[in-house]
Amino acid sequence: MARLEAKTDVTGSVWKITTVVGQTLAPGDTVMLIESMKMEIPVIAEDGGTIKEFRFAEGESITEGEVVAILEG
Amino acid sequence: MSSETPAPSYFDATLRAYEERLAKALAMGGPAKLSRRKEAGVLNARERIAYLCDPGTFIESGLFGTSGTFPADRDKTPADGKIAGFGKINQREAGLVANDFTVMGSSSGATNGRKIGHMKRVATQRGIPLVFLGESSGARMPDTMGARGMGSLLGNDGMQYQRMREIPWASATLGLSYGSSSWYAALSDFSVMRKGAVLAVSSPLLASLAIGEKVDPEELGGWRLHSEVTGLADMVVDTDEQALDAIKVFLSYLPSHHNEAPPVRAVPAGSGEGMRDIVNLLPPSRTQVYDVRKVVRTLVDKDSFFELKPRFGKVGVTGLARLDGRTVGILANNPLVKGGALDTDACEKFTSFLVLCDSFNIPIVMFVDTPGFVIGTDAERKRAPGKIMNMMNALSLMTVPKLSVILRKTYGQAYLNMGGGRNSDEVAAWPTAEISFMDSRFAVRVVHGLEPGEAGFDEALAQMDRENEVWDAASIFAVQSVIRPHETRDYLIRMLEVHQSRLTKEVGQHLMRAWPTSF
Repeated sequence: MARLEAKTDVTGSVWKITTVVGQTLAPGDTVMLIESMKMEIPVIAEDGGTIKEFRFAEGESITEGEVVAILEG
Repeated sequence: MSSETPAPSYFDATLRAYEERLAKALAMGGPAKLSRRKEAGVLNARERIAYLCDPGTFIESGLFGTSGTFPADRDKTPADGKIAGFGKINQREAGLVANDFTVMGSSSGATNGRKIGHMKRVATQRGIPLVFLGESSGARMPDTMGARGMGSLLGNDGMQYQRMREIPWASATLGLSYGSSSWYAALSDFSVMRKGAVLAVSSPLLASLAIGEKVDPEELGGWRLHSEVTGLADMVVDTDEQALDAIKVFLSYLPSHHNEAPPVRAVPAGSGEGMRDIVNLLPPSRTQVYDVRKVVRTLVDKDSFFELKPRFGKVGVTGLARLDGRTVGILANNPLVKGGALDTDACEKFTSFLVLCDSFNIPIVMFVDTPGFVIGTDAERKRAPGKIMNMMNALSLMTVPKLSVILRKTYGQAYLNMGGGRNSDEVAAWPTAEISFMDSRFAVRVVHGLEPGEAGFDEALAQMDRENEVWDAASIFAVQSVIRPHETRDYLIRMLEVHQSRLTKEVGQHLMRAWPTSF
């Protein structure tokens, strides 16, 4: 099992966490939604995997490139 | 070729000696090395050629070549570690160079350098694609050591790294690839990489010696680096077979050389079947995003979208596809990533793709939905003005047909970079399109000095939104067609037919054929 990181492509704030710890995602699934540039931009689990932890809560600010969740897959 | 047993002759002894030499040449690096590869699930160089070529079509050039630098190496270097020849890939002729890592790590030597030079000359003169199956330890040592070694081995072919795109080059990185096999991957029009392979200037050992710290091979040149950060890998796969299949598919979209149109294929059943619902791929709210690749896959011939660099510059989507059986290059903004705002990686990705399409007579279709360019200090440090203008210049220099379809928003300079105005042969728009210099929510602040919540903000915003609708652009012929979304496939097929370059038999001027694409 490899440790995988889901990173945000944009600076903004966490608008909605659409998954839960323990949930298994397919490649390309959305982990959470970021509000940025007046849009709802998803953080994608490129390789899929099972969510182990979230690094941010809803409403918190995040910067481009930050890891928002750790997955295992 | 005939495999009949020859009649007895006076030359039997000579012919037996020939067979012995042949067996030795075909033995590669010997059974021990070959079985280690088999156990690891990796094909050897000859198996790769057999997989890639139509059965019985491979004809080798330089089978009896060996190292000529040191006499002691002569018997240890079958084919001098690089197997070269010609074969048919899906019934079309191609030149091949397959590195045999079991022979001195497929290091570059004098004889195999001559073989590669020959392949490049013949492929270019005869108009056939060239395929490199890369896996190499770099320049052969000690052959290249010292002033005499350097003078005699390297730099004796002034055309070695010249790229004029007369013919397509495709490359697979299938193992440790240092030196020449990395150079050819970087110079190729298509570069596929197998997971576990490493593509770098030199080995981790040499890199560690140079910088005095331990270097991890994956970090130095692994698939993640080249698919996500450098963009040097157009595609990543899990196995050798998948890499070779990818090369077959890539070449199926391209002409054999730059003086002919790409091949035409039959249209698969079911093409266009999702068109009725295509508008529903757009989310109802302009604040929501979507994956433009679903729109692309619905529009083009069924299962024909062959995406390039899917993990690099992801705000932009590039790929080859077919419309009515004809090859087209697709460029699209992807709102799913950064809302579709174009960044410097996407500009590079678009630029290199425009060079590919223009060099090989492939018309392009752009799907537009972008709020503009990513701006700010980070973008400027990444030379955003240079990257934006490289892309713009590439688009301006194209002589193949170029069509654009505005799906939703297109603002500012990005409107031009995505084919707006006279930067396409035809601009079409869906009724959902918005065109302006910037998003009206920002423009109200700049133009009227109003903040959200202040009196007059909502009215000013509504007025600007109305002015951004496509109809004003259509009324002054800045947009040539406003089309029903579900008729977009038919529109594109018909418009590509109209814009066929009949005067030159669908061959463009190739003004960017010498442009670097991995700058």
